[in-house]
Amino acid sequence: MQRPNWAPDDIDIERPSVARMYDYYLGGSHNFAADRVAARAMVEAVPDAPLMAQANRAFLRRVVQHLVDSGIRQFLDIGSGIPTVGNVHEIAQRADPRARVVYVDVDPVAVAHSQEILAGNPTATVVQEDLRRPEAILAHPEVTRLIDFSQPVAVMIVAVLHFIPHSDHPEDILRTLRAALAPGSFLVLSQASDDTRGGAERAEAERVYRRTDSPLCIRSRSELTAFFDGFTIVDPGVVWVPQWRPETPESAENAEQAVFLGGVGRLDG
Amino acid sequence: MGEPAGPRASCPGTFARAWAKAVSGTSYLPMTQAQLEELLQRLTVRLAAALRAEPFDPRIGHQVGAELVAAHIASAEGLGRTVEVVQLRLLRDLGLVGDDISDRLARLLATITTGYARALRDRTLDEQESIRRAAMVARAQAERALRDSESRFRHQATHDPLTDLPNRALFTERLATALTVPGRGTARVGVCFLDLDRFKVVNDSLGHQLGDALLVQVAQRLSRALGEHLVARLGGDEFVVLVEHTDGTDDVVKVAEAALAAVAEPALVEGHELTVTASAGIVERPVAGTTPGELMRAADSTLHWAKAAGGARWALFDPARHRTELARYALSAAIPAALDRGEFFLDYQPLTSLRDGTVVGVEALVRWRHPELGVLGPDSFIGLAEETGLIVRLGGWVLAEACREAESWAAGGGPAPFVSVNLAVRQVHRPDLVQEVRGLLAQTGLPPQRLQLEITESTMMSTGGEDPVRSLRMLNDLGVRIAIDDFGTGYSNLVYLRDLPVTELKVAGEFVTRLRSPQADPASRNDEQILASLVSLAHALDLTVTAEGVETADQADLLRAIGCDTGQGWHFGKPAPAARILEQIR
Repeated sequence: MQRPNWAPDDIDIERPSVARMYDYYLGGSHNFAADRVAARAMVEAVPDAPLMAQANRAFLRRVVQHLVDSGIRQFLDIGSGIPTVGNVHEIAQRADPRARVVYVDVDPVAVAHSQEILAGNPTATVVQEDLRRPEAILAHPEVTRLIDFSQPVAVMIVAVLHFIPHSDHPEDILRTLRAALAPGSFLVLSQASDDTRGGAERAEAERVYRRTDSPLCIRSRSELTAFFDGFTIVDPGVVWVPQWRPETPESAENAEQAVFLGGVGRLDG
Repeated sequence: MGEPAGPRASCPGTFARAWAKAVSGTSYLPMTQAQLEELLQRLTVRLAAALRAEPFDPRIGHQVGAELVAAHIASAEGLGRTVEVVQLRLLRDLGLVGDDISDRLARLLATITTGYARALRDRTLDEQESIRRAAMVARAQAERALRDSESRFRHQATHDPLTDLPNRALFTERLATALTVPGRGTARVGVCFLDLDRFKVVNDSLGHQLGDALLVQVAQRLSRALGEHLVARLGGDEFVVLVEHTDGTDDVVKVAEAALAAVAEPALVEGHELTVTASAGIVERPVAGTTPGELMRAADSTLHWAKAAGGARWALFDPARHRTELARYALSAAIPAALDRGEFFLDYQPLTSLRDGTVVGVEALVRWRHPELGVLGPDSFIGLAEETGLIVRLGGWVLAEACREAESWAAGGGPAPFVSVNLAVRQVHRPDLVQEVRGLLAQTGLPPQRLQLEITESTMMSTGGEDPVRSLRMLNDLGVRIAIDDFGTGYSNLVYLRDLPVTELKVAGEFVTRLRSPQADPASRNDEQILASLVSLAHALDLTVTAEGVETADQADLLRAIGCDTGQGWHFGKPAPAARILEQIR
């Protein structure tokens, strides 16, 4: 992904975008025909795909609420996608209007859409960058304008890491981000796992996502846990996302069906 | 008020909880279960009111349907389960009874689904529009970024990064365009090359950073002074101006004068007040029949004329001079091949003893038998060879050839003459000169005493390579004769001769030319006296003296009377092939 920054991506809506497929799973209409074809193929292969997306989105909502309750007022949401319902800034700014949120996404359409939604919101913004270029994210003028890295920040990388293959060295990316954070900051991760699902579904899902701009890289619980290196994982640990501080006991039932593992780590001083 | 069975809005009742349970999981709901139950409790209150209202008000059902969609309970399953739970439980859970209650429920469900479908359709259309707009914005942004980067790239490719002036590429492009203008029959164009005088001194003494700052200032001044004309930086301290639509040379001369004046203003650069001058080469001609390359080359060589004339001036292109220079260049370029093909040969001119008339030595003089130009004397090509450095190879050939030919002259009866060969300054500076000469003597068998090397005073004093004095002393120690050529034209410092490895002085021909009979020219008496003192001083230092350019018997007599040892010139013999000279000796 070492393209020079003056060479913009071509905008090709004929190619499925993972951000718009995710919107489709969540019941949104911010998607194009190519996205829906790919998303329906995914649902055919993995019928629970929409439920997984919903569970992951609910995890995000509970985590942000928890972080707001823990005093966090700065959020860096990397891989934010199409900002449909239940955005970080909606949750955070409902709790505290001064909360600052920077969304980062590599998809130019998702970024343009976010710009429209965030127009007139002085404490939330969006930048187009790639998670694989953490230095560029940290140095981006919009990021440094809103985020004070001398204060705690929540870095959210939710339902994105499975698009970062081993060859992109996600551990290095996370180390770079961690180095920029003040004590008391949080790292929020979730990603698709195959600890319970069958090999056939996994193969089918990987086949669907090979058609998109972001192939799938599924990881185990121990691999995701290792990404929290340098952080103290808060209760209840790296779990199936419905099990992460559920609102009701029954909402955590059949949690492994959610396929997504998630966790929150705190950077100690 | 006062209705016992009416549900309260604040606390979720049985029905609202059942409804919440039914719809949860049908789509992503951005709220907690408690918030969902609260919302549905509020809607339940409104549904209850609709069932009781008289007359029936369809708007309530529409609003409830729309609110469900607004709350993102917006999936097909969400609607299906809502219909199911309302149909099955609403009347029972709220304890509603009445004659037409089931009719009312059916109408209520119809209005809820109508309102729901309308709202969902609107939302879908809105979202579709919004994502399409986002795609368009993204595409426009990408295109703008591409355009920006293209124009940035184009600017970088066509401008000089230091001064931001157009660069050579853009200049050449614009010049080519200027040469293809329509109506080129009468159109004329001018090019002015500009170069700062002694810019290297600024760089070397004040540093490159300051040199660069000066260039930036010069660039700014040039663009200001020549606003309408294209000013480009070619690199280093070289600039060029394109003057289009000229009527004659004067138009470009005016531009050049404005440019030189702009440069010549004192400049304050990082606290230093600098005054620099520039030189300019001007070429102006009709557009028809010329090419960008020709114009650039012509302007460039004209610039060098201005430089050679001392700088701080402009020079105008002169086709005749240019042709001569091109011919000179062609000649110098042909030297290596001519050496390979054996086109050079040597003539010899005798050095004759003024005492007894014997030929004591000969000076080797190189000639070039040029296939087109005929036989060329050294004046036509030695200067070129010295400029280009070819003199080393050519001089080496002359030395070797002279040694080879001279060795065979010993076959005659009396003592064979020595051969005198000119060495150029570059040859003298070569570290392997001594080795080369020693090798040649060994190869040819020529005794060292029969080789004389002629060098000029300035060569002897020059620096920049191997110390000439050291090399010459080693050669002198071998027995090789060393002559100072053209003595009297330089500083002619007799004192230093004492310490130098010199065997002979060759007095420049111009001294000899001035020697006439005292009756004809009284001033000649002085020259004679100077020459006489010079000879006696040389003899005191144990040097022999040869007079060059001896043309008449009178001159020979005078020189003999003064005590000069040998003479060279037409009076004693013109340069000729070795065989002819040897005939004269024998």
